[in-house]
Amino acid sequence: MVEITPANIQLWSKLGSCGAYGQATLTLPNISDKIVVLTADLCSFSGLERFKNKYPERFFNIGISEQNMLGIAAGLAKEGFIPFASTYATFASMRCADQIKVCMSYMKLGVKLVGLTSGFSVGILGATHISLEDLAVMRSLPNITILSPADCLSVVKAVQAAAQIEGPVYIRLSGTMNNPIVYHKDFDFKIGKAITLQEGTDICIIATGSMVFTSLRVAEILKKYKLTTKVVDMHTIRPLDTSTIKEACKSKLIVTIEEHSKIGGLGSAVAETLSLEEKKPPHLILGADSFYAHAGDYNYLLQTYGLTTEQIVEQILNKMEKK
Amino acid sequence: MSNIDKYTNAFVETFEVDEQTAKNLKYQEIEAWDSVGHMGLIAALESAFDIMMEPEDIIDLSSYEKGKEILAKYDIEF
Repeated sequence: MVEITPANIQLWSKLGSCGAYGQATLTLPNISDKIVVLTADLCSFSGLERFKNKYPERFFNIGISEQNMLGIAAGLAKEGFIPFASTYATFASMRCADQIKVCMSYMKLGVKLVGLTSGFSVGILGATHISLEDLAVMRSLPNITILSPADCLSVVKAVQAAAQIEGPVYIRLSGTMNNPIVYHKDFDFKIGKAITLQEGTDICIIATGSMVFTSLRVAEILKKYKLTTKVVDMHTIRPLDTSTIKEACKSKLIVTIEEHSKIGGLGSAVAETLSLEEKKPPHLILGADSFYAHAGDYNYLLQTYGLTTEQIVEQILNKMEKK
Repeated sequence: MSNIDKYTNAFVETFEVDEQTAKNLKYQEIEAWDSVGHMGLIAALESAFDIMMEPEDIIDLSSYEKGKEILAKYDIEF
C-alpha cells in the first residue's frame, strides 16, 4: 500500500523523481478504474515495474516509439480512459510536439504526459537527452495544464492531482536519485496555487522543480548578508498563480530560478505577468543560458550553467549591489 | 536495541517478513525485494544506523549475510 508516511517520503527521495512517479502510479487505480499507464520502453527506468506486475491489463509498453505512444494515449483518452504516458522530457516535448499539439492542445484529450529526467538529470547522455526547453514548448500550446513538482512527495501529489482533472496535463520531473526533500510531511497540493515556503521582505525567489530546494539553501545563505528571502514553490506553470507573483512585487528583487532555459519557462511566464504591473521591482531570471554544454554528470552541468547554490547566491548579491 | 536487532528489523519492516525469513533473504528472492524494495531497505538501514551508503555498497548488498559484511565498512559491529 503506497501511503504518505515518513518512511515512504524517505524512500521516494532515494528513488528520485522517476521512481516516485512509478510509486505514485500504484495509487491511481484507487482514484479511477479508467487509469492506464504507457511507457516507451522505459518501464524499469520510470519505476513502473510494480505497476506492470500488479496491473498488467492496464500497462502498455509501446516500445521506443514516443510519437506512437502519444497517439495511442490520445486514442485511449478519446475512449474514456485516463492515460499516463511517460518518457524522457526532451522526447516527450520535442519528438512528440505535433501529437501534443493536435491531440492534447487542440483536441484537449485528457492525456497525462510525464516528462522524465528534465533538465540535467541524464546529462551524462549529452545534449540529446538534456531537456531545457520542454516548458517553453508546452507553454506555447494552449489548454495543457503544466506541473513541475519540487520533490518526490510533490511528484506523488502532482500525479494524483493530474488524475483527478479532465483535460491534458504535462508533468515535468526533475532532479536525480537521492532527491532532496522539500516537503517532509503531507501537504495540500492545489493545481494553480503556489506555495510560500518561507517569508521574507528583501528578495522573493520564485522557483520550480529541483530549484525549489536549492532556493531554500540560497535563502539561508543570504541571511548572512542580512537579506530576508521569501521562497515560493511555483509547482504549476499553467495555470500560473499570478496573484502570488503580484504579491512578490512588494519585494526589492524578484528572482526566478529553474533548471530550464531562461527562455520560455518559469522566468518568462513570470516576466509576462510582471509586464502588466505598473509598479514592480527588478526581475532576475536564472536558468540555463542558450548553449549546449559537453556531456557530464548532474553537478558538473549545474556548475556549467551557473545553477549551483553558491553561484545563485553570487548572482543575487551582484544584482542587489547594482540597485 | 542491539545492532543485529536493528539490522534484522530493517529487513522485517521493509519486506514484512518474520525474523527467520529475513535472515535467509537474498535480493529478488521474494517479490518485495525488487529494485524499489531494495532502496527501501537501504533507506531503513541508513536511518537505523545514521549512515550514508556508497553507491557500490548499495549495489553489492545482495543478501542479509552480505549486508552484514558491507556494514562493517561503516564501523557497524554485530
